[in-house]
Amino acid sequence: MSMNRKNLDSEDTKWELQEFVSGWYEIPAAMTDRRRINGPPGGSSPVIFASSLGIGGRSVKRPSRIRPPDELRKIFLKTGLTPLASGSAYLELSPSANTGETCDSLAPSSSALKLTCAVHGPRPLPRSAPFTPQIQLSTHIKFASFAARQRRGYIRDASERDLAVHLETALRGVIIGNRWPKSSVEVVITVLEGEEDRWWGDETGGGTTGGSAGGWGMMNVLAGCITVASAAIADAGIDCLDLVSGGVAAIVKTPQSQHEAPDRDTDMGEIGKNGRLQLVIDPAPSEHQEIYAACVVGYLSTRDEITELWLKGNIPGTTSFSTPMQMAEVGGLLDKAVEAAVAVRLVLGEAVREAAELKAGQNRNNKE
Amino acid sequence: MCHRRVVESNQNPDFPNQYLPQREQRQHRGDERANSSPAATMPPPLTHPLFSPPELSYTHTSLLLQPPIRPDARTPTQFRPIIAETNILPGTNGSARICFPDGNEAVVGVKAEVERSAGVIGSLLRKGGRGEGGGGDDNEEEGRKGVGENAWVELTIEIPGLRDDDALPVFLAAMLNEALLASGDLVDRLWINQRWHWKLYIDILLLSPPLSYPIPLLSLTTHLALLSARLPRLISEADEDPLFDNDWEASIHLYPRHNKSSEPTPSKPTATKPKPREQPPVTLLVTVVGENIFFDPSLEEIAVADLLLAVSISETIDDSEPPPEPKPTTTKPPRNIRLLSLRTIDPPARLTPPGVPDALNTAVTQAETPKNKAATTDADVDYSGVWVPPKGGSKRKLIGRIIQMVIEHGGVGEEVLEGLEGVDVG
Amino acid sequence: MPLDTSSYSLALLRLDGRRWNELRRIHAQISTQAAADGSSYLEMGNTKVICTIAGPAEVRRTGGGGSDAEIKVEIDIAGFSGVERKKRTKTDKRVAEMRYTIANAFSSSLLTHLYPRSTIQITLHILSQDGSLLAACLNAATLALIDAGIPMTDYIVACTAGSTSSYSSNDESADPLLDLNSSEEMELPFLTVGTLGAGEKVSVLVMETRAQIGRLEGMLAVGVDGCKQVREILDQVVRRHGKKLVNSIVE
Repeated sequence: MSMNRKNLDSEDTKWELQEFVSGWYEIPAAMTDRRRINGPPGGSSPVIFASSLGIGGRSVKRPSRIRPPDELRKIFLKTGLTPLASGSAYLELSPSANTGETCDSLAPSSSALKLTCAVHGPRPLPRSAPFTPQIQLSTHIKFASFAARQRRGYIRDASERDLAVHLETALRGVIIGNRWPKSSVEVVITVLEGEEDRWWGDETGGGTTGGSAGGWGMMNVLAGCITVASAAIADAGIDCLDLVSGGVAAIVKTPQSQHEAPDRDTDMGEIGKNGRLQLVIDPAPSEHQEIYAACVVGYLSTRDEITELWLKGNIPGTTSFSTPMQMAEVGGLLDKAVEAAVAVRLVLGEAVREAAELKAGQNRNNKE
Repeated sequence: MCHRRVVESNQNPDFPNQYLPQREQRQHRGDERANSSPAATMPPPLTHPLFSPPELSYTHTSLLLQPPIRPDARTPTQFRPIIAETNILPGTNGSARICFPDGNEAVVGVKAEVERSAGVIGSLLRKGGRGEGGGGDDNEEEGRKGVGENAWVELTIEIPGLRDDDALPVFLAAMLNEALLASGDLVDRLWINQRWHWKLYIDILLLSPPLSYPIPLLSLTTHLALLSARLPRLISEADEDPLFDNDWEASIHLYPRHNKSSEPTPSKPTATKPKPREQPPVTLLVTVVGENIFFDPSLEEIAVADLLLAVSISETIDDSEPPPEPKPTTTKPPRNIRLLSLRTIDPPARLTPPGVPDALNTAVTQAETPKNKAATTDADVDYSGVWVPPKGGSKRKLIGRIIQMVIEHGGVGEEVLEGLEGVDVG
Repeated sequence: MPLDTSSYSLALLRLDGRRWNELRRIHAQISTQAAADGSSYLEMGNTKVICTIAGPAEVRRTGGGGSDAEIKVEIDIAGFSGVERKKRTKTDKRVAEMRYTIANAFSSSLLTHLYPRSTIQITLHILSQDGSLLAACLNAATLALIDAGIPMTDYIVACTAGSTSSYSSNDESADPLLDLNSSEEMELPFLTVGTLGAGEKVSVLVMETRAQIGRLEGMLAVGVDGCKQVREILDQVVRRHGKKLVNSIVE
């Protein structure tokens, strides 16, 4: 965590440096990192041989989803791993099970999600700060430079800032802010391993996103961030209305052959010649050739309320312009995302209870 | 500037500089910035609505009524009138300006530049791969699907008084960008050939200090600028270095128009039916107070909202079905409106100071001291008519109702698009 | 792209068809934005500027502000304003110099002593650049300040003046030119001159290119003459706006 603090601080001072220096030089782009010796822009990606792409006959297969459409990946969640923070949590999603096929490439076929979250505060605002009737919440999400195939810089980029705003929206609704006037709390999340936006085999074009709207990995990251932040806030002992949990659902394309008997609950009809639209929860982007739409919710299950909603996507074809069809799609996505959040909430509740029992036990021992 | 911060943190010996949370440090510097420019002397009213609890309570109560009463007497789905013009800047590929009556004003300029594509091999591979999967589809239009990269569109937002890495511009840009790229049609049209593509720069300037949440303003202006944008006509062949027609009259629209007679078709005229044309997206801002839903909220309404939702929609015009003969009935044919994205926005009401009910106000209850001890538990206090900042989230049913209102036939989406059609986009 | 100036000597017409002493079309509007204290929109040819005024407003800083109002200028050059899309940072040196020049010019013409401990913020948005940028900014700011109702001694109006041949060509028969566009500015020596009032009081004079000293007087004379024309145009705009305002009140 100390590493993380250092990053944030240096980013901050970097801005000052820029302001200080800018009287002398013209600064080409506002977001360049001038404090470190950086590698070439874009970085380098592992070599991918043509043979592994099926040009020479052999090919690496895209990992396929073997979980049922309404099953989550396994979640590991534990609180209190960063002793110096007032609350902390660590979350890990297991990489989806390998189908057992031999692989020609050494590159792992799918990614997992690893997040660590620290909560600092609540602590008083400095005396010079203006009065605030509610607790001042700030969120930071930073990808570690090694979190994805493309190296990330040290300065938070637009997508990381955007995620932080989403997280802030999700958390603000659940924290009972008026119990801490004139104070602040800071939620810092480091993404140690991020979800990929698509399978690496599709990524050879050189761009980070391609095809139709990308960024699906970000939605999984956000759902993870909401859950892990909720656990860390509970660990810090900040009053909340409920534990907010994040859930993701997506509409994906599955080959017709994969399910002969379409599931009534998740099937959304045919697409193209040999594919069907399917609603899945907790989609791993590398397992699906095409994701058409996805939805993240921050959900309070005891109150049945949503504090954060992020839905995007576009299903091709002109048949579904009718209002009832779209309502069914969006409603289905929303309900499935909530379903995922409810399932995540079980893990979250378990982790928080475990930590609380551990603490209670420690206290008892101390007294004795 | 560095110096100043050191001085400030020395004033707080309790908080040595390195232990200050980042937000606080940023605030210090924010204050300095505010000092240097009076346009930002006040914190942006979006995050800190400058209303007193009684004012908030009054607005909230009148919006809760059935039917609700909005501060400016509009109906819940009524929009404020706007002044719009397009093609104001000859130096851009497309531009637009919109003025709201409350003084909010935005200018959008779209500029396209030719850029060399990276990863030629990758696109070759992808094209090969598609050939197999596409089932021998020779149609050129089909073959172009999925060749675009999202990085070919760059959208920036500038808001006076805010730095371009502040949360608000970043969030707004992400929201507008996401709607723009949702279908991938736009980036595919930027493809020139295997080695070259158009890079589209969309610069959004808010000319006035942000009085209310500027999403609808920025989104409508961007919509019009993109509709008016044109690209010069390509005259070179296939994979040569691109050469363009110098005649601006011959240029083609970035978003194709229906009127084919006045416009040269970029590809060979085919007998096949024209592709459905997707129009640029529009993002609407919706607020919810209690059970009531309001479109195009003003600053007062945003300040008391339980939920703020940004809804992006786009229209697809299918020319293949000829528009039905205008019947003497008053109903119009439904538009093909598609929902592209939804996002909740943190309602600023959560940050407002709560009102203090009389029972807890020592200035009022001092005379009757024995009583007020019992009244200090929350349950006994009468909170009616006292402003309480909203907590928690919102129900799914309500979100469903908003979507329905936007996309249904005769709904708000159609109304907005109809209004925008009235603007001459050249 | 080097400018072909050889044709000038034949027809005495510039590339855009103007004679040496002709201004480009100037179009201006006042009160374009309801939210600002004062605002204006000005076109000089293809140079387009929007100006908004905030203030006079109280200085927030504790103990700050002198006995005179402080004038602050912010210039925002849009990424799409030039021929190529370029994002300029606010701390660009050239922009900083323009800000300083404008602030300095207006601190002499505005009656700042009437507003102690306050600031007047001039924000200029440059939407399109085609030469005479500083002059356009000064003219737009004058109009916006009038709209904001800030007392001033007189209009500050500005325009550019140049010379038909470059410094190195040593051409003795060089003519002075009025109101240069961007391709002329790139090629020829020019200066920006701003005058205060209808007389020949020069309040701004900026020249960043080399020119023979002998031509300077001619350029300056043409520039001051151009300022008089600009002043006429701006004055008409202000009067027309005033008349409209009075009519709307009377009705």
